[in-house]
Amino acid sequence: MQIFKQPHFKFMKYKYIAFAFSGIIILAGIINITKGKGLTSGIDFSGGTLVQIRFKNSYPIAELRQVFLDAGMGSPKIQRMVEEGEREYLIRTTSPESDIEQDQEQQQEAHEIMGNMIVDVLTREEDRSALARGLADLNNVDTDELRAILQPSFPENAQEIANMIISLRESDDLKGIIENYDQLLEAGIGQEVVDFLKEKTFMGSLAVKRRESVGPQVGSELKTRATQATIWALIGMLIYIGLRFKFAYGVSAILTLAHDVLFTMSIFSFTNREINLPVIAAILTIVGYSLNDTIVIFDRVRDNIKIMRKHHFEDILDKSLNQTLSRSVITSGTTFLTVFALFVFGGEVINDFAFTMIIGIIIGSYSSIYQSCPLLFFWNKIFKPKKGMGK
Amino acid sequence: MKKDLRWKVILVLIVIGLAIFLAYPPGEKIHLGLDLEGGMHLVLEVVTEDALSIETDQEILRLEAELKKKKLEYKTIAKEGVSRFSIQEINLTQEREISDLLDDMFRDWDYSVIGNTVSVTLKPAAVNYLKDLSVRQAKETIQNRVDELGLAEPTIQRQGTGNRIIVELPGVENPDRIKNIIKTTALLEWRLVLGGPAPDQETLLQDLGGEVPPDAEVLKGDPERTEGGYYLVSKVAPVTGKDLINARRSVDEWNNPAVLFTLNAEAGRRFYNFTSENLNKPLSIILDGKIQEVATIRDRIPDRGVIHGTFTIEQAEDLALILRAGPLPATVKYLEERSIGPSLGKDSIKKGLSAMAIALILVIIFMVLYYRISGLNAVTALTLNVLIIMGILGYLGENAVLTLPGIAGIILTIGMAVDANVLVFERIREELSSGKNVWGSIAAGFSRAFRTILDANLTTIIAAIFLFQFGTGPIRGFAVTLIIGITASMFTAIFVSRLIFDLTQSRKKKREKLSI
Repeated sequence: MQIFKQPHFKFMKYKYIAFAFSGIIILAGIINITKGKGLTSGIDFSGGTLVQIRFKNSYPIAELRQVFLDAGMGSPKIQRMVEEGEREYLIRTTSPESDIEQDQEQQQEAHEIMGNMIVDVLTREEDRSALARGLADLNNVDTDELRAILQPSFPENAQEIANMIISLRESDDLKGIIENYDQLLEAGIGQEVVDFLKEKTFMGSLAVKRRESVGPQVGSELKTRATQATIWALIGMLIYIGLRFKFAYGVSAILTLAHDVLFTMSIFSFTNREINLPVIAAILTIVGYSLNDTIVIFDRVRDNIKIMRKHHFEDILDKSLNQTLSRSVITSGTTFLTVFALFVFGGEVINDFAFTMIIGIIIGSYSSIYQSCPLLFFWNKIFKPKKGMGK
Repeated sequence: MKKDLRWKVILVLIVIGLAIFLAYPPGEKIHLGLDLEGGMHLVLEVVTEDALSIETDQEILRLEAELKKKKLEYKTIAKEGVSRFSIQEINLTQEREISDLLDDMFRDWDYSVIGNTVSVTLKPAAVNYLKDLSVRQAKETIQNRVDELGLAEPTIQRQGTGNRIIVELPGVENPDRIKNIIKTTALLEWRLVLGGPAPDQETLLQDLGGEVPPDAEVLKGDPERTEGGYYLVSKVAPVTGKDLINARRSVDEWNNPAVLFTLNAEAGRRFYNFTSENLNKPLSIILDGKIQEVATIRDRIPDRGVIHGTFTIEQAEDLALILRAGPLPATVKYLEERSIGPSLGKDSIKKGLSAMAIALILVIIFMVLYYRISGLNAVTALTLNVLIIMGILGYLGENAVLTLPGIAGIILTIGMAVDANVLVFERIREELSSGKNVWGSIAAGFSRAFRTILDANLTTIIAAIFLFQFGTGPIRGFAVTLIIGITASMFTAIFVSRLIFDLTQSRKKKREKLSI
């Protein structure tokens, strides 16, 4: 099977359109970033708190919002875990300083207090009163605590029962929340034990599955490190291309990469997605991937210049693009397939990363055809190197 | 089979065998990152100023004692900063003697005399030493506390030479509890109560004319343990947490959880004398500046005692644990926390692996549809690639944990590794269409694509190396699998894939068609 038998696309014909297209998007992006709503930094960079909570019963998102408003906590970002119905949410706040008074006595950081408050306001009154009565929350105890509770009445197998209950709770079926005592019976916990637990414990209404809090200081450090890493990676690649190719190729390739980064950032500024560590990782990977594409094409250009001495440089570029087209499409295709699988099946935690990769692969494939070669063409036209670049 | 093919086949078989050996069983050999296993990652900062401040306080006390002993006159000693104080209104005729005293007994301090005031500042070298010491001590204390918890494979590291400590605890079920245990300064003191409880400071100081006596201070009762309110307590603590040799959870006479402590022999004697002298006076137990319990001294207490309070079993257990491990030299605060529950980790593994399986299947289907039999060749190389990644991860063990972004890295590698095959196959097709025979085309395809493959893969590796440099846990995992995967892909796509062509094509006639 072959996608293109003998392709003769005139890619270079569209160079102005491509420049205009990219230029508009990037310009709009830059304006939006600097003058408009800007980029949304995730908690990794701005500092803040992220809490993933699973509820015992479904909890409509509107109700959730109201609770935060009533508590005077403004409106944190609430994301529903789609697969879990209305039972699991990701809640994040990125501006921990606002409205929250720092509790000096506790030496706590605002980001930490914020996390505690989120959990606190969502805890139902019945949980609080149960705790006050000295009952333990079966959805929040750890194995040690549970063992200590069971120890007096079941001295021989307290550890074993505690292990069983906790691993049931954390199993794939229950995902962190035991809903009722029948589930314990079904899992093979003895009636005697369950009766005992009914007296000493209760099923709390929520469980915290993930919690990340980043202080503003660490956040700004991470931001600096991420920026530095991106710049150093670009410099590293520039050096590599400089060693392997002529200067003109290096400049064109690096401009193409800068295009990719800016384009991706622009798209981020138009969507509501946050920039966080995984997103930066994805952008860096994209930079590598896009360069990979560009190099394959440039490699061909370099070969063709030797063969097609009499041709116009534009034709050489077109020829090279056509010769590498199948490869470009197939590699982009397979990479896209895998990243798409990650996006659809990889779950929420990796979703930002996968999303960035998807955009990046599209941009990277587009730019290595429509940006890198036209850039090389203009370099050639402006600086007119004495030898080696066709007519 | 040709001779040079034979050793190549053997080499590949060895690689396969080794990879399987290193990675099997994956559950044991491949270490999972905190995001997949569940657990917590904490970055905490030691407030080193605290340690300096404590040192300064102690030095002021020592200086006061020395000045008194030598009968040198001064009005007050005022603390002016964490590592600075001044002796005010000295008798200028004694300036010489004060200088001598400071030179002899306070060598870590610089001083200058302006008028009748002596400004005393801790030397920078001593400041650095004390700061460093406090971080090292804090690390050790945290290590002790974590060890007492009996968690599996904890790592506690100092970040460079700064005042940050990174704590990584896999498989933690109750992050809040652990955070409290690590963070509590746990400075325990026994002091006499001179007044209180009172609802506010004014009421407390009414009889004293509103002023706090110089040898006392006002402290609050811990609302969780006592009824709250304000107390006036002596500044002197005859016994502190440093004098403990043991502490354990126990029950009091009403069968409520309590903490039983044992003092060392010397402190025991001190405590005995102290309690003898102060019979029937109220004594408070203070933890980190908050009163935990006030009780009247009914008996002379030797080296053992009980801390009462409204504890739960776990709180009593934790307090005993903290007391056994000793106090932190300074307060700590959390700069960063990332904790993942075990069920979420399991969920991530499941989703990550299913995404990986689906990606692999999609790519296999695509390659076989597009390149027919040669596609199978690429698929073999690809499968081997994944196997090698697993093997290397297994070999590196704790040094290269598998994280969720790490799985993403493998998935990405699946997509990108076929690139090397694609480059070769496309070249072969070109060579075939230009009229070369199968053998010639294969040879030319591989040799001409080689340089391109090398260039293209190296750039991705450069990006991954920088990512590794700057990244934290999960991101590093991504960089690691990407680097391993791409390196392995050069071996599988160039060496293994070529070998398969050599093996399948060698005995055929030269003119035969290649399924590509």
